[in-house]
Amino acid sequence: MSKQKTKEKDANGATRRDFLRKAGTYTAASLSGAAMLLSDPKPAKATANVSWAEHFQKNYRLMTDEEKQEAVERLEKRYSEEFGKKVKVGSEPALEGVLFGYALNIQKCIGCRRCVKACVAENNQSRGEKQQIEWIRVLRMEKGKFSAEDRDVHGYPEDYGIQVGGNAYKPAGVVLEGQHYYEPDQVPEKDAFYLPMQCMQCEKPPCVKVCPVRTTYRDPDGIVVIDYNWCIGCRMCIGACPYWARRFNWGEPDLPAEEMNPDTHYLGNRPRMKGVVEKCTFCVQRTRKGRWTGCVEVCPVGARKLGNLLDPESDVRKVLASKKVFRLRADLNTYPKFFYFMD
Amino acid sequence: MSNFQLFGSIISTCLLGAASIASAAGETVQQDNTCFESRMGLSQVQQREIQPGVMNVKCSPTTGGVLFWGDPFDGTIPMGDMSVEADYSHEEAVVKPREPQIDRNKLLTICSMACHNGEYVPYPENKLARPLKMHKDIVPNSMQLKHGKGAIWCLDCHHAATRTKLIDHYGNEISFNQPQKLCGKCHGQVYRSWRNGIHGKRIGMWQKGGKKRWWTCTECHNPHDVEQGNRNSGFAQLIPEPAPVLPKGMSNADHERGHGEQAH
Repeated sequence: MSKQKTKEKDANGATRRDFLRKAGTYTAASLSGAAMLLSDPKPAKATANVSWAEHFQKNYRLMTDEEKQEAVERLEKRYSEEFGKKVKVGSEPALEGVLFGYALNIQKCIGCRRCVKACVAENNQSRGEKQQIEWIRVLRMEKGKFSAEDRDVHGYPEDYGIQVGGNAYKPAGVVLEGQHYYEPDQVPEKDAFYLPMQCMQCEKPPCVKVCPVRTTYRDPDGIVVIDYNWCIGCRMCIGACPYWARRFNWGEPDLPAEEMNPDTHYLGNRPRMKGVVEKCTFCVQRTRKGRWTGCVEVCPVGARKLGNLLDPESDVRKVLASKKVFRLRADLNTYPKFFYFMD
Repeated sequence: MSNFQLFGSIISTCLLGAASIASAAGETVQQDNTCFESRMGLSQVQQREIQPGVMNVKCSPTTGGVLFWGDPFDGTIPMGDMSVEADYSHEEAVVKPREPQIDRNKLLTICSMACHNGEYVPYPENKLARPLKMHKDIVPNSMQLKHGKGAIWCLDCHHAATRTKLIDHYGNEISFNQPQKLCGKCHGQVYRSWRNGIHGKRIGMWQKGGKKRWWTCTECHNPHDVEQGNRNSGFAQLIPEPAPVLPKGMSNADHERGHGEQAH
């Protein structure tokens, strides 16, 4: 708008000096209000007071400890003002000798979605009708009628089931990939089971491979994290992730101050801005301080387990040793640290 | 005559207790600052501030389920002695006492003194299922107790004279706060898994040596209704949290309900 005005004036015979002065102020304005590079002309409260320093800081991984401390303090000050309460932004590094692993008992899960909502309460995602971001999705799967004899005689069942298949002689039996929006009165339902999915914290994460600015990376404790300040919003990682784990802030996140969780981590649940990607971090703000994640604690049937894969006495290692375990899409060689198990 | 009066007063006390159960069940849904942990109605928590700005729990506005523990160890007691060696002998283990939940309307205490003193309600002669006149709120159909496939009956678990206690194989009392000692009598394999931390639920610190709140059997399972039945699950059915918001421009989710070619 202002640019157009300048042009009009220019055409009306304004001097070159006038034009340069106006252009100069325009540039200065866009630099000092650095957020204007990202957000719409009407600056939201969240981006209005983003400081110069915050916008031009280094990639978190390349910062010295002092720079990290400065960045964290800047954020604490800004968030505390913005949300009207004391906000803590942690910068705890990866724990020594820890590799986080997760195990989910798919036989126990009742599909109540409480983990989904607990995750939102813990991790400061955008909520509400306009832009809802949830890091966990629960898929409802119908139970297949599957038996080895039937398969040999009739092929894979056609009416329902989730199994894949089909060959030169038999039609493919896949029919249903899972329902996101199921809403029965009561769960669990008789003919369904439920498959919660979230970030698998892969050992070879495809999302990290494709990130052009290397803002997402894998920490030594196995958690794949994002420095939101360096995210350029290209969404390559969303395309690369085979587990649909990443979410994008298409608009300004909607996070009411009274619902905001003030215990945050720089790489985890600190409030995000428009135009960045986010995902599950195994509640890095909790787990690096020794506490279980929100979803593990809240599961009403105790289907979720988290522990140290390097410790043979941990819950997860005991699950791996004694239960039937599988990982999603193991064929992709991403080596997820998220295991599904059955009793 | 006096006997008759006493009997009348006992009956009225029990009725009073029954009435208070009904009203308590009605209230739990109404009160918005009460939420439930795992079992609706039997793991209630009152929401309150434990520190300035920190609530003991955050609750789901739609279902009333707990979504967040401000302090995972709020209202807990030490787990107590266990007869078997387990990991938690090295770390602090706490449980939330079950007695206040189970005896919240004092029916157990009252009836333990008034009805089940060994005289008014005689001991059953055998374990055959029979219709119950009382306790239909707990066991709606006593002819088909949904636990043990007909092999067990009330006094296999409950103390015959002290109704505020459970019993082990030798008739020793077990507290309602430690139901695992009772359940482990039959469910040994699950009990071992539970001790190892791979069955059931714990909250608190995941690290070895960290303090943990253990969830006991009856915090998740209803011992009077554990058979899977139509729901295909040992848990009672719950109301699910709302589904995600549909993507912009999508009016319903019918596309994912179809089968076969319609689904693609």
